[in-house]
Amino acid sequence: MLNLWLRRLSTDRIARSRKLSAPLVVTGKCGNAEVLTAVDDASERLGLAPGLALAQARAMHPGIDTVPEDAEADATLLESIADWCLRYTPLVACDAPDGLVLDISGCAHLYGGERELVVDLGGRLENAGFAYSLAIAGTIGAAWAAAHYGEPASYACGEELTMLAPLPLSALRLPPVTVVGLARVGLKRIGDIADQPRAPLTARFGAEVLRQLDRALGHEHEPLTPRLPVAPYVAEQRFAEPIAREEDVLTITARLARQLQFALERRGDGARRIELTLFRTDGVVRRIAAGTSRPLRDPDDIRALFVERLAVFADALDPGFGFDMARLSVIVAEPFPPEQIGIGGGENAAELCRLVDRLSARLGSRRVRRLVAQDSHIPELAETVLPAQVVNGDAGWNAFRQYRKEAKLPPRPLRLLARPEPIRAVAEVPDGPPLRFRWRRALHEVIAAEGPERIEGAWWSEHGGPARDYFRVEDKSGLRFWLFRAGLYRDLAQGAATPSWFLHGTFA
Amino acid sequence: MITELRQRLLALQQTSGIEGPGTLSLGVPALDTVLGGGLVHGALHEIAARGEAHVPAAVGFALGVIASSCPALCRAFKEDVDGRDKPDHVRRTVLWVAEDMALAESGAPHGAGIDDFGLASERLVMVTTAHRRDLLWAMEEALHCRAVSVVIGEMRAGGIDGVAVRRLSLAAADSGALALLLRATPSSDASTAATRWIVGAAPSMTRHSPSAPRFAVHLGRNRYGPVGSWILEWSDSDERFILATHAQPMAAPALYRSHRQVA
Repeated sequence: MLNLWLRRLSTDRIARSRKLSAPLVVTGKCGNAEVLTAVDDASERLGLAPGLALAQARAMHPGIDTVPEDAEADATLLESIADWCLRYTPLVACDAPDGLVLDISGCAHLYGGERELVVDLGGRLENAGFAYSLAIAGTIGAAWAAAHYGEPASYACGEELTMLAPLPLSALRLPPVTVVGLARVGLKRIGDIADQPRAPLTARFGAEVLRQLDRALGHEHEPLTPRLPVAPYVAEQRFAEPIAREEDVLTITARLARQLQFALERRGDGARRIELTLFRTDGVVRRIAAGTSRPLRDPDDIRALFVERLAVFADALDPGFGFDMARLSVIVAEPFPPEQIGIGGGENAAELCRLVDRLSARLGSRRVRRLVAQDSHIPELAETVLPAQVVNGDAGWNAFRQYRKEAKLPPRPLRLLARPEPIRAVAEVPDGPPLRFRWRRALHEVIAAEGPERIEGAWWSEHGGPARDYFRVEDKSGLRFWLFRAGLYRDLAQGAATPSWFLHGTFA
Repeated sequence: MITELRQRLLALQQTSGIEGPGTLSLGVPALDTVLGGGLVHGALHEIAARGEAHVPAAVGFALGVIASSCPALCRAFKEDVDGRDKPDHVRRTVLWVAEDMALAESGAPHGAGIDDFGLASERLVMVTTAHRRDLLWAMEEALHCRAVSVVIGEMRAGGIDGVAVRRLSLAAADSGALALLLRATPSSDASTAATRWIVGAAPSMTRHSPSAPRFAVHLGRNRYGPVGSWILEWSDSDERFILATHAQPMAAPALYRSHRQVA
């Protein structure tokens, strides 16, 4: 476990964006008082510390530069640093508000060892202008304690107790009240409680103290919750020279996809969602994801998907000084259906999937859809559109045709408006079809009408709405409409609202 | 050697579809004769509504054309006759690309209504685009796909890039798929479309209740023969167009008359 503590996250964030001329402090509200929440190195040398009232700090040093705190910007920055740390390991967790936990087991050898990894990470952070302190230990707790209270860049692998013993008790991530209570009985260092009898400690200070100690020493497991789900298949490549051109990115994508293909084939899987992560030399991370409509393995198909994804970005890919690392990960994998060669329709179905994938990659999967019949008698709920990548089979249409045959459903309009539009209609008899109506400022004289087809509202629900009487009408010029009257006149006596007319769709 | 070259040339011509593109009969002899056997496969056809209000009629006509010329897309089409070889080359998808504004104006296609035209709604893939550029791109991509048999592009009023239309025509010729461009209003811009239609709704035969859909169809451009105007009726029972030659029961200006301005 590697714990990275960005000691001066807030002030470093501000210092990166502008030139400082005076010691910088970040202030925030604590109750009704303005207090310092973060200080930089220069102001710390002046004797300022977080928690000090702003008025007092100003009285001591009138020249200090104060900036209001922005917790959201800090969190965003921490997350982008976490993304950047993905270059070292896929298991990165945020330790809010200013730390990161990296599970580097099994990853360090890629950099030539833990020390080399730390040198690489530290060098890059320093170049980016962040003050940090980090530690590697066998457990999350020990690494945290060492990073916050130990020697800079300490390693403890196997001898956690020796390393922790001289550290203060607050290094165990205990609430301040508990630490003060323990100090009152003379227990100040971790070594002091490590060999105390357990029962009295628990009785007096609660189970938390020993649980944190056990976690730090590795007697109890502490789970790490990675910020991003860990991809089941990953292929990555570092470049000696940064790449910037789109073609190069695509070539790399295809090469990585070929590496993934072997891994996918070995386990009989195919990719349903793929993500390309590009690490820019200046620390910015770009993640580009693409979905597929069937498990995919073929490198050329994967490359084709990213051609479309990158085409959307156009200039926005913004390589800057170039990318120095690329990673292709399969986020969602599914068993690959057995290949059917030469059996009817297979080739065509694959072609169609390829087309749907490309269109979805370029336009977004919400723009490439299929109609799905739903189990409802209310026209606007009777069908829906779903992304074509997730719809399989007949999408309920066979059942719909069966139902239509049995229920002898009258014709349905060709186009249905997104929501019924109110119209002004005049009817000859209250329950009859309209004589004329005005829709979108045009007057239509009805010459033929068919109906009513009564469709009850969802009476079991509070928002079901009134019953509707649908009419198919034709106007003088031959245009055909689907109108309905919401509400019945016979319900007027029971205090229902006056029926009103709507236009819901148009026929050919 | 010359015969050999000639044979090679012939083979090339056949594959590129230059020679005698296939036609799809519309089931109406009068129309089929004018079109030289039916609607040409592998070409772009433009269907414009007479006005914004007639867009559903234009859509209905387009669906009727598809239903009568591509049996594989109909709901009545049996998957594998006798359980024998399901032909691998049967293309069974309609891709309908529409602009967001077109859908907002005239409503989204309703599967149950499409079903009324005999087409299987599960064969339809709807694509919506925010820009005309994307619409043309999506149409072209779909035309290159071997699984798609019909590509419908629906757009609102406004011009269209001549180069893009030409690209679509070429793509359609290359793949043999049917490309239909639906427009909300007739346009006069130059186009490489094989045929251009102007479609409006026509009043029903009977007076009391709306009967089967009727279309006042005007063929304004035909690369393979003469032009003309017809009143077509979609027959629900046998799912094809029939020519409505009967006299109109009312004095309605149903027939398209070129010398008279139509509202």
